[in-house]
Parts: sequence; structure tokens; C-alpha cells
Amino acid sequence: MKCLLIASESAEMLFYWTDLEFQQNIQEQYGASQEEGHGFPAFEDSISTLFAPIIISFSTMLTEGDSYTSFTTENNHIYVLHQFDECLYIAVNGDGEEKEEDLRRKIYVMNKMIEVLFGMVTLSGNLLRKELRARDTEQRLRLWKHLQSLLETYSHLRENDQSFLVEAVERLIHPTLCEQCIEFLERRVQQINSSAERGGEEVLHAFILVHTKLLAFYSSRNASTLSASDLLALIIMAQNMYPSNVDVDDPSPEDIDSTSGSGHESFYTPEPSPTDKDSSSSEKPVRGSTPVFEFVDPDIQMAEDSLSTLEVCPPDPATPHRVFLEVSQKDGLYPMMPHSMYCLPLWPGITLVLLTKFPHSGVAMSVYTFLEAFAKLEKRLNEGQGGSTRGQPMHEVRSKLDKFLKTLALNGIQSSQLQNVWTEFKNRAFSRGGPGFSRDLIPWCKNMKTQLCGIYRQCFLSDSGPDDTPRRLSPGLQERAQTMVQEKLMDWKDFLLVKSKRNITMVSYLEDFPGLIHFICVDRSSGQMIAPSLSITERTTSELGKGPVAQYIKNKMWSLVGTTRHYLQKGYSTLTLRDGDFYFCYFLWFENETGFKLEAKDIPIMPDDSAPIGMLARDYYRKLIRYYSKNHPGEPVKCYELLTVHLGVIPTEIILQHCRQLASKLWEPSRNPLL
Amino acid sequence: MAELLQPDSRMCNYFFLYDGSKVRGEADPTRDGICYFFPEETPLDKQELLCGQLAGVGRCVSELSSSPTRTLRLRRNKFAIRMKDDFFWALGCSVDVPTVSVSEFLDQLIDLFCFYNGPVRRSYQLNSQETLAARWARYLSHLQSGSSELSHIFSCLRTIDSTNVDPLLLLKAALILQACQRCPLVLAGCILFRGRVVSTQMSPGLTMKVMVHESETYTKAQRPNGTSASSSFSGTVSSTTVFLTTPELQDLQSAPVDKGFSSDFLKPSSCPTTPQRDGPSKKTRLSRTLSDTPSTESQVSNPSSSQPPQKASLSPRLSDLDVFSPAPSHSAANSLNPSPQSLRPSLSNGEHSVEDEMEESRSRNSTGGRSQIHSDGDGSVFEEDSHLNGGEGEGAFGGVFDFQAVESGNEQPHDDKVVEQDSSVSCGSVSGHSAGKSDPPPLLPPPQGLSDASEENALIPMTLYMHRVKGLVLALLVEPHFMSDATSMEEVYHSSLASLNGLEAHLRTISPGAPGGPGPYTFAHFDCVQSTLTTNLSGRSGGAWDQPFVRATSLLHSHFCNTETLQEAIIRSASTAVYGTRSVAQETYFQQNGGSLRNSGIPNHQDSAFSLPSKARHRLLKHGVNLL
Repeated sequence: MKCLLIASESAEMLFYWTDLEFQQNIQEQYGASQEEGHGFPAFEDSISTLFAPIIISFSTMLTEGDSYTSFTTENNHIYVLHQFDECLYIAVNGDGEEKEEDLRRKIYVMNKMIEVLFGMVTLSGNLLRKELRARDTEQRLRLWKHLQSLLETYSHLRENDQSFLVEAVERLIHPTLCEQCIEFLERRVQQINSSAERGGEEVLHAFILVHTKLLAFYSSRNASTLSASDLLALIIMAQNMYPSNVDVDDPSPEDIDSTSGSGHESFYTPEPSPTDKDSSSSEKPVRGSTPVFEFVDPDIQMAEDSLSTLEVCPPDPATPHRVFLEVSQKDGLYPMMPHSMYCLPLWPGITLVLLTKFPHSGVAMSVYTFLEAFAKLEKRLNEGQGGSTRGQPMHEVRSKLDKFLKTLALNGIQSSQLQNVWTEFKNRAFSRGGPGFSRDLIPWCKNMKTQLCGIYRQCFLSDSGPDDTPRRLSPGLQERAQTMVQEKLMDWKDFLLVKSKRNITMVSYLEDFPGLIHFICVDRSSGQMIAPSLSITERTTSELGKGPVAQYIKNKMWSLVGTTRHYLQKGYSTLTLRDGDFYFCYFLWFENETGFKLEAKDIPIMPDDSAPIGMLARDYYRKLIRYYSKNHPGEPVKCYELLTVHLGVIPTEIILQHCRQLASKLWEPSRNPLL
Repeated sequence: MAELLQPDSRMCNYFFLYDGSKVRGEADPTRDGICYFFPEETPLDKQELLCGQLAGVGRCVSELSSSPTRTLRLRRNKFAIRMKDDFFWALGCSVDVPTVSVSEFLDQLIDLFCFYNGPVRRSYQLNSQETLAARWARYLSHLQSGSSELSHIFSCLRTIDSTNVDPLLLLKAALILQACQRCPLVLAGCILFRGRVVSTQMSPGLTMKVMVHESETYTKAQRPNGTSASSSFSGTVSSTTVFLTTPELQDLQSAPVDKGFSSDFLKPSSCPTTPQRDGPSKKTRLSRTLSDTPSTESQVSNPSSSQPPQKASLSPRLSDLDVFSPAPSHSAANSLNPSPQSLRPSLSNGEHSVEDEMEESRSRNSTGGRSQIHSDGDGSVFEEDSHLNGGEGEGAFGGVFDFQAVESGNEQPHDDKVVEQDSSVSCGSVSGHSAGKSDPPPLLPPPQGLSDASEENALIPMTLYMHRVKGLVLALLVEPHFMSDATSMEEVYHSSLASLNGLEAHLRTISPGAPGGPGPYTFAHFDCVQSTLTTNLSGRSGGAWDQPFVRATSLLHSHFCNTETLQEAIIRSASTAVYGTRSVAQETYFQQNGGSLRNSGIPNHQDSAFSLPSKARHRLLKHGVNLL
């Protein structure tokens, strides 16, 4: 029984997702009143009525200075609440499958996805509310359905994919092929960027995904690095568009051999999600009311089926997704800069992704700078320091903003409202007779921020751009890129699909590390991980055995990661546990670039309701490395994590030796193609 | 050790009881529903805000999940919630305290209230809000008093420091309790010394509850002339009505106590009931109690009312007991105590006549003179009378008990004498005792209590008997009519008196162990069965290593509570490492102090953290903690 919802401060439902069980539960409580209007709006009404008291009480308590973070009940239902700006997120679990931490993570991931989809519009509660809860019901349903399916894709990945468990990217380990692909991608990118059909866009990054694993990643020379957080979010989006069907697509020999086993039971048979205004595929089948996920049990039709009662007309398949990603420039980090994402399916399970820079992205950078300036000013005014600073930095902003408004006008961007508010602001702040920089200016700061977000929205989110040029790579160009990579990888296709399931295997470690059952190794500085594959399906026999044992170990592994995070949050960077028949170890340590171990230092202790530890939603490790680097100025610091599971009968000394060997072995440059 | 701990370690920031039934309509002000709010000096509108919001959200969540809300967490406070009927309890504390511990604390607090006051709804009908507020405050402060952060984490019993005490004294205490238990009206007991447990037969939970009353009377009893016991027990003995839950009662009744066991402290008494016989009859006995005794309970708690009728109506239990339990092999212990037998009459009239005859004959046979004393002027006269009145005529069921009577009649006489002798000696003081027992907290007339009981998890009224010898207290849970049963009472009183005096004298001379300075290591050992904590952690001294240790312990304890399969764990940060291990019966935490940890961070088998388990095993042996 699961649910996630977003509500505004006035208890207006901005988004919700429930599973069928939760929906039934709500409907039971509403009983008869629900029967007539079985449709979607009625359900939305009941869910918002039921949650309204909680949402309102949240605001009431917040004004008193302290508000709710979580609830539990005697039958172990968990509620987690978190507010981002003006939006309150509530996640509920009633089936024991998720812990409080998981729910909090889900909320943060949902927030991350919304940031990727809406960029700086999220900074204005008012505008975001309009985006999420569009007046047009059809449009709203389309968006909600898209968000719901993203959430489900994420949940599925988190529950089944190790790289989403630890939130780091897993690469396919095949150095030669990887190298070839990178060269090949480089040529393609250069070709596209020199083509006249690119519609003003410039490809910055290109990468090939095999399921969720990265085969090759190429960034053009003038592109900033793509953060692990953004890359993980993009993988979720790609998976959402072209879900890898783990069971059906797996051509590994074991599958063919294991015919004697149980019949074909696919527990997870996702199909491409329905298109929306953002989708881009040329191959995508147009689907009507088919649910996003088909389970074996026909009863489990997802709750949001009701959403799809409205036929969604497919947008132009060659339209890219607009995504807002972080860009690091010399002068600092710019979050939520607009990019276009082209997701080109090569074969089922293998996808080429192109990320392009958007023609007017300079506007976004300026908007961000101004937003930051006004936010800072607002903060200063709130603290009552307005008078003393006399807005010195604001004079600089003033001339820049004046210039910016002219540029907007030149580009045909509607900015009269911004112009008006800005004029008023200037009158108040800078004129001699005016009130100057006082608290009275705070509402005008807010107003300016809203107007700036409005400009940003107009430029990067609305369908009608500032000019009529087709803002995308031409369909022909996309198709060419697609076919060329297809040709290149034709011979490797099957190999890659198998390899993605058997990236590295425990077998190769058993001789050196007797008693070792599983491990995960993460390089947090690059956001990459290595782990023996743990694919557990009905038909395939993994190295952990089949069925319950493998499932048991998988569950242990998952809960171990949760445990280590909990201790890490409380400042413990080393952990060993004897649990049942197993012995778990966890280590987090720092090295310098030459692989020299660095002195340990106490890491910060954080409250229970702080952002979840990981890289996807909020990059904890980046902060941790920054914190640690304070003692090592000018020296790049690397951060590693190692988790191991051993049989409990192995003596502890041996286990610790294993961990040490494993740690040095895995990150030896010669052995590891990732570095 | 508790005395040494920080006074500011407070478990509870907020506690309130909110009665939703008083705030039904829109116009009803929230304040009407507030039964008790701690801290009491909180401004009323703040009280209203917290009560209103938390109770509202709590109800909303419990409706959504169709289950009562258990916790409400805020960013700066954590509330354990209990919802029952229309009542809403919330206990708020700092977010650092493990959730398990807060919930446990709240449960304890509510249980404590019910233990002394009976069902909550009824208490509020019978008593003024102010009276009960004072009680909540008292229980709250008792639970929090002098306890350390560690004891909050484990919610453990405060015990005497057994490392400083001669084990023979502990044995002596245990034997005193066993001796008392030989009287069938005594369910179980514990011995406390200056607010700490010396020995207990009750579950940790019950012991904890009993201790509250002890600490209340402690101050009163501090009078210089602690009444010398031999003269009269009016000043040193007290009693109060308490309420046990059905499981608690069953637990007590099924405790494996060998009533036939003989000791040096009390000559083998004639109180016969063996636990094996108790077991099977429990159920019937309970149900009979609930249905049969309502009218009498008021009289139990009312010492001035005449005694015979209540004896009569209480008797079914005892007769049941015997009916359902055939005489065991060690029949020496059988059914010859005058008091239970004498209580047998009314319902199964036939039996008692037989028994009475038997008893009469026995007393005639063995010690005729004593039986005269017996029937002379003390409380037991009434008992005898009641049998005689009720019983003589009908002999229908008598056969059932024949063999018992015969069997036991042969063996018991000389034991009997002794007891009777004892009781007769103290005859004079009987009137005194009845005055003494009535003075502690208001006794509730329980007639309604019993009908309530079936609704509210069946709270069964019992009596808590306390016998104080200066700092030492013998606390016994007894059947309600024990206090009016002079024979039993005197028997228990006099049999234990000398031993208690001796024990008190010994315990008094023991100086509290000097607080060990910050040693080379810190440990905490929690006995989950007895709910006791042994630690060398002292709040006052050092402290540099204490905070990290307490923090780690609290984390690990929650982890152990939530993961059944977890056996041991080492957690380490750059500066500290703590080893925790647990079995079904215990949890142990160990930290090496001083010196910096070597080789932290990267996996390294030379990391000093990994030598903690062997060090713990080695070092803790001398504290009596065996981790092997």
C-alpha cells in the first residue's frame, strides 16, 4: 500500500500517485459516495479530503516553528513529510516494503525529477503550481501520468538495480569496445555539430546505455562534466521511455537451458510508457489505455489507469525532452540549465542518448544570476541588514539587469511585466526619496524572482519559443546518428545484452576470496560503482543460486546498504555486522589522486530527517568530499566505499584481509578500466 | 550509580493526556479536552495548539491507516503516541532518544497510572482532574528521576550494585521472598533498598511499578524513630489497592515457585499451594473472580467493614483451585494452612464443612491448647465463625476433598503449630494494622471497576503490601483480602521481620562503591530478562568518552531491536569505536577509551577497532559479564 502526493500550502493537490491497494483502501473509506463517480476526479477529491487535515496541520505547526517529519502507526504504516519551498510532499507506505528512509529518498527523487523537468520554475511556488496543476485537465492528466510512470520506473530500479541501490553509475566493463565506441561517438558528435540541420543546437554529451549500464560516454571539448546525479536522473528517464524487459530480452544461454524450471512468469513486464509532449521517439508505438506496467495478475491494473481514459495524442516523435541539468563553469556552478535530451533506441535494451545545448541557454544563466542576487538581498533584508549594505552588489545587478532586458527585447522575448516590476523596484530601492533598502522591499524581491522565473519559463518550457526556428536536431539528423551507431554495434548487440547481465561475476573472485559472497565497490568521486551482477529472475540461475537463497541475499544486501547509510549519517564510516549466517563489512575512506590513503577525519553527524545519503537526489558525497578537502587544499580527494558480505564462519581476520585486498585490487588502474 | 548522573538528562519534554470525548462539537474549546499537560507551566494556548494539532493529526492518520498512531515525529521533537478509546496520550522528547525507548517510556507511564488508579476513564470519573494531575506528575518524575541517558535507552530497573554486595545477602533476600510466598495469598514480592531492587520475584515491569509506591512512602518513613517492628506493625506496614492486567496476573500465578521449599528464615509454613496446581486452574479462577466477587471488593478495600461476608464470597477461587488440582505428590504442602481453608465456605458449601471438621480435628489432635488461643480474640475467630455458620449443614460435595484432608492432615500438624503460634503472639496488634493499611493513596471502591475491567483489558484489583524496615522495603502483591486476614498477615509479618532487620543492617553498612574514574574502557551490559543494567559509565566524571559511547549505544540498541538476526556489530568513526553484541538474554556494549584509533578508514585488519571483541570478552569477565 503505497502513495506519494504533492500538495500546495493551501492543501491543493498538485500531484499524486497511489498503488492499487492504496486506492482501494481510500475507496473503501469513502464507500458509497465513490461508486457513482468512479472516475478520476472523484478519487482525487477523496484523497485530498483525507489528507487535508494533515496538510493544514503541517502548515499550522510550521508557523509555530517545528513541523512534522514522519508518522508511524501500530500496524506499521509509515508517513513521511517533507516540504520543498511551498510544496509539501507526503509519502506513505503500508506494506512494509519501504522504510522511512526509502520514503524520504523517494520524495527527494521525485523532487529531483521535477527539477530536471521544470528547472528554475520550481523556484517560484506559484509558477510551479500552475505547471503541475494545469487548468487544462487533459494536459494535467498527461503530466501526472508521466510523473507517475517516472516514479514507478525509479522505484523499480531502486528495488532491483544495484546501481540505483547505491546511486552510482555502473559501466559495462569491456575496455576495447568502450574505447572504440568513444571514438565513434566523438566523430558522430562532431559531424552533428557541423551539420546545418542541427537547428542551433550543439551536442555536448553522447552516451550509450545497455539497460541501465553505461557502455560509452563522450563529452565534447567545451562541455562541462555531467554530474552523477544528473546522469542517474537521465538514465531513469531513458528507462522510463524504453524500459528494459529483463526477462524477455535476456538471450543468455542459461535462459535457454533452463527450460525445466517454472513456466514463464514475468513479474515485471513494462512497456513503453505513453507519449507525452516531451517524448521524442520515432519508434514508439502509440498506446491507448494500456497500463504502464503489466503484471501477471490482471487484477493489478494500475490505479492511474483511470488517467488514460482520455486519449493522449502523440506529439511529434522527433521532439526532444527538455531537461534542466547542472553546468559547471569557471565562475561557478549553474544549476538547472536547459538542455535537450534525445533518446534514440538502437535495439530493445540499448539506447543512444544525445544531450544538446539549447540556443538561448545564456538567458538561463543570467536569470539564475539575478535570481540568486535577489534571493541574497531578500535574505539580508530579512535579517535586517539592508541599510548597512546599502545594496552595493545591487548596483552591479542593476546595470546588468538593464542590459539583460534589452537583450530579451532583441530576442523577441516578452518581458514587459518584468520591465514594469523592475522599474518599480528601482524606484523604491535606488531613488533618493524612496524607501531604499528596507524591509518594505522584500515583497518586491519576491515579485522580481517570480517575474524572472516567468521569463525562464517562457524561454524554456512553453511550446511557443521566442522565435519560430525549429529548436531541435532535424529528424533526419537524428535518424542518421541512430542508424550509424546501430551499424557499428550490430555485431556486438547480443554480446552487450548478455554482458549487461553478467558484467562482472563472483566466479572470478572466488579463488582469491573464499567465503566472499558479494561485494559492492563505489568510487564516489566519479560516481561509479562495480559489483558482481545480482540478477534474480525466475528462470535464470545466478551465482548465488536460485530462488529463495538468492532472493534472501539480495534482500540482505539491500537492507545492509540502508543500515550503512544510517550509520554514515550518524558519523560512522566503518561498520561490521554479524547477522545470521553472514558477516557484513562497510568501509568509507579517502585517498589522494595517487592512491595514497588519507588520514581519517570525523564526518558530520546529521539529523534523521536530513536529505537521504546518496548521489541521485542530493549529492551527499560531493558535500562530504568538499568537507574533507578543507584539510587538503589544492589536492584532489577521492572517496571510496566498499561493502562486502562473507559467510559468517570465516574468521574475522581473514574477512578483513579480503576487504583490504579487494579495496586495493579493484581500484588498481591497470585492472580497472573505469579510471 | 544513578545518583551520579546528570540531573538534566530528561526523557520528557512534553507529556499530555487529551480526552477527545470532551471536544466533540465545533464550538468546544480544545482546553476542555486537556486532562493533563506537562510541563504544567506551559502557556495554555501552546498547550491547546499541541494537543489540538497532534490529536487531530493522530486521529487523521489512524483513520487513513485504520490503526492507532504510534509516533509523530517533528523536526525537533519526537512524540510517542498512545490512542485508546477517546484518550490520546503523547510523550514528546528530543529526537536523539531512540523511538523504541520513547514508546516504551510512554507505555510504562500509562501502565503505572493504571496500576495505581485502575482504568483511566473511571479514574477521571471518580477523582478530580487536579488530584490525578498530581499523580501523573508524580509518576512522570519518578520514571525520570535520577536516571541516566543509558537507563532511558534501555528503560531498566534500578538495582543495587551487586558487585559491592555480598552475594549471600542477595540470597537471603530471595529466601525471604520465597518464605513469604508460602502464604497462598501472597502472589509475589520484591525487596527494595533505598529505591533500588535487591531481589524481586516479579517481572521487571511490575517491579518498576511497585517501586513508585516505595519511593512515595520512603520520605514518610524517614522519621527518626523508625517504628521498631516487634511492638506493632502499624507504622511500618502499609497497603494500597493496585490493578494488575490479566497477563500480569497470569504471569504471577504461573511463576514456578516451590512453596514447599524450606528455609532458615522462615520455618516451613503450612501454606500449601504449589505452582503446578495453580497453573491449570488459572482461567476458571479468573473468570470466577470477575463474575462472582463484585460486591465484596469494596469491602476488601474498606477495612472497617465486617469481614466474614467477604471471606465467604472470595472463597470460590480457592475452592476452585483445589477442585481442579489433584493433590500433588509432595502433599506435605497440602492445603492445611488455616487461612485458605477457612476461606472456603460459601459457594461449595459442602466442602468446607468437611474441611472444617478436618481442621478442627487436626487442631484438636495436635495442639488443642493452641486452637483455643486461635479462637480466642483475634481475626481468625471470625473466620472460624464464618465456616461454622455457612457450612455445617450441607455435606453434598464433601467427598471431593476427603483424600486431601486425610493426606495432609497426617503430615502437617507440627508446622501448623508454629504458624499459629506466631500469629497468636501478635494478636494484639491486629487492630493496629487495619488502621495502618488504610492510610496510603485513596482506595477506590472497585465495584464498577470490575465491570470496567472487562472492557479495559481487564484490570484486576489486588493489594500491594509494604513492610518497611528503615531503608529496606518488603513489597508483596497479595490477594485483596490478605489485609483483612490477620492470620496470614501476621504470619508473613513476623516470619520475615527478623530477616528483614538483619538484611537491612547488612545493606546499610555497605558503602556505595566509589565511582570509578574514567577507566581504560567503558561498557554497558543490559540484562534483557531482568531488565537490569550494569555499566561503569559515570555521568559526572570524565565525559569525554561518555557522549560518543551513549550515542553509539543508543544507535546499536535500536538496531538490535529492529533486526532480530543481528548478533554483533562494530561501528567506528575516526575517533571512536564501539562494539556491541547481544543474545536473547543480554546486550553488551564496549568501548576502548584513550589513545587514538589506529588505521581507521580504509579496510585494514590491523585497525584497532577490530580487536574490540576480544578485548571486551577479556575485560568484562571481571564485571561478571561473560561473552564467551
